[in-house]
Amino acid sequence: MPQAAGGRGRAIPSLRPSQSRFMADSYCVHRIIEDPEWCLIAVPPLTELCLQHIVQNFTNNPVLDRLPPEDQRKVLARLPTGLPLTVTANLISDEDYWKRCCTDRWQVCDISNHGGSWKRMFFERHLENILKCFVPNTTDPDQVLELIPLCRGYVRKLEVDQFLPPVKEDQKEERDDLSDSGSDLEFGEVCIHHYDLRALVPALPLLEELHLTYGVKECGMNFEWNLFKFTYQDCCNLAAAVKMCHNLKIFKLTRSNVDDDKTRLLVRNLLDHPSLVELDLSHNLIGDKGARAVSKLINCSKLEILHLCNNQISNEGAQALAQALAKNCTLTSLNLRLNHVEDEGGEAVGHALLTNTTLKSLHLGGNRLAEPTALVFSQVLTQNSTLTCINFSCNPIGPDGGKQLLEGLRCNQILTEFDLRLAEVDEESEYLISQMLWANRDAARLQPLLQQPAEPL
Amino acid sequence: MSRGAGEESAGPRWRMPGLDHETQPGSDPAEPGPEERIAARRRRIAARLDAQRRQALGEIEEPKEEAEEEGEERSSHKQVEESRQKLAKLLFEGTRMVTDIQVAADLRETQRRAEQAQLKLQRVEKLENEARSSADKFEEITSKWALAKKMTVPQELWQLLNQQQQLCTQLLEEKNKLIGELQQELKNKDEQYVQTIKKQSDDIHLLLERMEEQIRMMLKTYRHNVHQKAFELERRELLDNNRKKWEEAIQALNTKELEYLHARVKKVEEFEKQLNQLRVQYEEEYNSMKIHLETDVQNLERQLQHMKAVYLVNQEKLEYNLQVLKKQDEENTIIRSQQKRKLNRLHSLLSNLRTKLVKQEKQFREENQSLAADCERITGQCKEVQRRMRHFAASDAEKFMKVWLMNEEEAKGLMRKALDADRIIHTQQLGLPWEEPHYWFLNNIGPFGHYKAKRMATKLAAEVLTESTSGAQEKKEEKEEVGSGEGQKENTAKAGDTATPLQNISRKTAKRILELVSDESGFLIERKLLGPLCALGKHERTLLRLDSIFSALEIDSEDDLYQLVDFFLKYKAKEGDLSQSQGSPGGEDIADLGEDRTDGESSAQSDELKSSQRPLDSLLSVCIHADDVLKILKAFVQDFHKLREEDSSAKEVLQVRDSSKDGEYWEALAHVIPEPTLKLWDALAVALEEYYNILTRRANLLAEAAVLQQQNSELSLMLEQFITSGVNSMLLSPPVHQMDLNLPCPEEPR
Repeated sequence: MPQAAGGRGRAIPSLRPSQSRFMADSYCVHRIIEDPEWCLIAVPPLTELCLQHIVQNFTNNPVLDRLPPEDQRKVLARLPTGLPLTVTANLISDEDYWKRCCTDRWQVCDISNHGGSWKRMFFERHLENILKCFVPNTTDPDQVLELIPLCRGYVRKLEVDQFLPPVKEDQKEERDDLSDSGSDLEFGEVCIHHYDLRALVPALPLLEELHLTYGVKECGMNFEWNLFKFTYQDCCNLAAAVKMCHNLKIFKLTRSNVDDDKTRLLVRNLLDHPSLVELDLSHNLIGDKGARAVSKLINCSKLEILHLCNNQISNEGAQALAQALAKNCTLTSLNLRLNHVEDEGGEAVGHALLTNTTLKSLHLGGNRLAEPTALVFSQVLTQNSTLTCINFSCNPIGPDGGKQLLEGLRCNQILTEFDLRLAEVDEESEYLISQMLWANRDAARLQPLLQQPAEPL
Repeated sequence: MSRGAGEESAGPRWRMPGLDHETQPGSDPAEPGPEERIAARRRRIAARLDAQRRQALGEIEEPKEEAEEEGEERSSHKQVEESRQKLAKLLFEGTRMVTDIQVAADLRETQRRAEQAQLKLQRVEKLENEARSSADKFEEITSKWALAKKMTVPQELWQLLNQQQQLCTQLLEEKNKLIGELQQELKNKDEQYVQTIKKQSDDIHLLLERMEEQIRMMLKTYRHNVHQKAFELERRELLDNNRKKWEEAIQALNTKELEYLHARVKKVEEFEKQLNQLRVQYEEEYNSMKIHLETDVQNLERQLQHMKAVYLVNQEKLEYNLQVLKKQDEENTIIRSQQKRKLNRLHSLLSNLRTKLVKQEKQFREENQSLAADCERITGQCKEVQRRMRHFAASDAEKFMKVWLMNEEEAKGLMRKALDADRIIHTQQLGLPWEEPHYWFLNNIGPFGHYKAKRMATKLAAEVLTESTSGAQEKKEEKEEVGSGEGQKENTAKAGDTATPLQNISRKTAKRILELVSDESGFLIERKLLGPLCALGKHERTLLRLDSIFSALEIDSEDDLYQLVDFFLKYKAKEGDLSQSQGSPGGEDIADLGEDRTDGESSAQSDELKSSQRPLDSLLSVCIHADDVLKILKAFVQDFHKLREEDSSAKEVLQVRDSSKDGEYWEALAHVIPEPTLKLWDALAVALEEYYNILTRRANLLAEAAVLQQQNSELSLMLEQFITSGVNSMLLSPPVHQMDLNLPCPEEPR
């Protein structure tokens, strides 16, 4: 016996692999003990199985809050991104999950545009996409309404750069027929209102930013003026919706063919808005009347930033704005680029800036301003102590005007940016101006540095 | 600065799409002039170069500032400042370069708008002119139509119509021309639009290019600035410094290590030497020790031999002993077994005895218990018997009294009868005068030997107070002596005891004591009494007071009063002694006094008293202070009850009476009639007997006579009846006649 045992003992090491194979073959892997390659890792723990099950059945039975934090993390890491939002929206707050959702859905994800929150980004962009693809009278409005309870706690910003008009087959055919004859007017009579934001916007209590463009993107050769028509009814709806939205801080309505009447309507509804800070109506068709309405708004709200670039404001509108500006004490930035302000308006604005003490940034580029405006502004530069940034680019100011401005700038130590490109100013004064600006910038840079050490003392 | 610049750069970038859009729809006919563009481009290139130069110098700012902090005041400061400025400028130029495109586009747009407006004006003018001219022509044509109507000659008409046609065609041609022009314009516009779109895309491309370039440049410059020479130098210096320090430190370390090594080697050598020394030393020691031990071993071996011999001897001895012991052991076992047996027997005996003892103890205990119970019972019985005896004694005495009284009454009645008889005999029979005899016992009622009813304490007090003559006292004493006679020893002793104090105490002192008591213990008097008391005289007041005080103190009898007075005196005496000897009076003494009094025998007490009272009498009148009265009274009350109990038990035994005189008394009562009178009575009795006999004879005779008379009367009656009855008449001879004669006879004796 001992001999036999010894013999076996010697034999075992050499035999093992073959033996195990043999065993596996003969006993159909019954003996785990004798399988040297087997180890415990191959057996998933019960918790793991449970988590797996939870992940698989998450749609029907979303169990998350009751799990311990570690398991929650595991589950969240494994959840598929395609889960219905009704399940996930209010249950999952984990950023990693929403990051996965976002990156799966969109190639470019700039989280800084959405307050650094992936979840917020997901919902905002989701809602934006739905709105962009919404075709009135064909798309089910519930599609949006159903989403409201899911996203109302997360959406702070809406950036919709496309609103589709309603489409009807017969109209389309008609249009095709009549497109050549250009009877657009007939079309205009048919109502082509866009999506009514009144149903959505007031239901989003956290909404702070609203960027809208009533138009169609990438229409290509199907271009029609109708596609870009912003109707009065649309404007009414929008104005009502914005009025209801009390937390709105930034409102941008660009490239939407907003004319004077619509501007007035909007302004009427935005008067005394509790929180609106920034208004952007650039690239529209606002004329003097609209400018007058906006000037009224300036003094009846908390507006700090106003963009009216690329409109049709002429000297009258500019004068109205200047009048408002003279009394105002909230507006810090005004943009009137690419308008027809001309010297009369420019002078009015300059006179207003003699009394105004809040405006910091002013853009009057492309307004056909000439020497008289420069004369007024040289005075403004000597007196005003808040303006830090002026843009006079693309104005035929001329060399004399440049000299005037240079004179005015000699007494100024606040202005840090003064754009005089393509303003027909001679190079010498431009150079001197830039030198002075550099000095001012250094001073401005040193000021906080000087103030900082003073503060702790 | 850099941030501001960043915003600036960002601004335009955001604006770009807007610009794109805005330029998209409209056509862009007016491009900026080529010179302008060239100038702009030159400027850009210059700026770029400039920027590159500046980039080389400035604008690390933030990373630099960090370096600044580290590198204190060095050349890096300057470097930082320079590069910051350079970078700022670079940034500014870069953004400017990027925004240049926008600005140029803006300018183009404004120019385009201006041109557009002009063209529009021109077009409108042109159209108006055209319209006017065409209207003129139209009018001309229409006017000619009127002329044509007037025409009658066909050739003329034809000519006119031809002219008209020509005019019309002219007009139409003009219009068509205009349309063609406009369409041409439109085409041009379209082309321009396409061109502007192309331009825009070019611009956008350019913009992107520039932006990318700028980004690249900025990155490069930033990177470059980070590795500035100054920094390099500084770094190198720092590195050198550090390396020097490091090397120095390493050198120091090495030298130190060398030192340590040397020291260690030295130490090792020393230790080796020491080890060697020690080894030699220990070897020597070891050798000497070895020799010593070997000698020892030899000695020990020798001893061992010796011991072996001894051992053998001992072994033999021991073997012998062993055998002896074995035998002894055997014997012992035998004895032990015997002893064991004995012991067992004794054990059993002992156990028996124990059980017996236990039994007996139990028995005795039971007996004891039963005996104790018996004893208790017997004592109870004894007491009961005593009580009964007392009761019987009392009832006996009462009965005796009653019997006595009854007998005495009877006797006295008899006596009185006898005396009356005597008196009657004397007076009536003998006719002699009779005198009432006077005897001592005649007036006696009740048995002798009664104690005189004890006078009430108050009475005694009153007596004392009134200072009546000692007669009363003496009388009392006499009575006592009479009452007590030859009573038991105790009785006399007691009497003596009670008597002695008052005898011994002078009246004065007694009076004084009582007065003191009455004065001081007014609180014992009931309040109701106080009012009436005031009305009375001094003497009576004290009396009444005393009365109430005594009732409060439960002093009823004479003896109690004596005791009280006596107590006072004794107390005083003790106090006096104590004050003389120790000077510590107090309740204890009084208590002692009381105890003495109760414990001590009466005779001894009296002796003591007598001995002590002599000198006290004089003192007493002076010494008893008013303040002490209360104390004394308190002590007295404490003792009093004890005393009384003793007394009562003593008194009960005293009630055995003396019957010696009774016989005499009764004898005397019996012999109330003296002998001579008796003799006289005997004689008289004989005489009277005779007289009586005679009288009786006479009486008998009289009775006979009466009977005879009665018989007579009866017979007469019967006769009467016979006479009166009808029979009589019928009878030839009525008996009535005969009876008439007898009739008056019975009536006569009556």
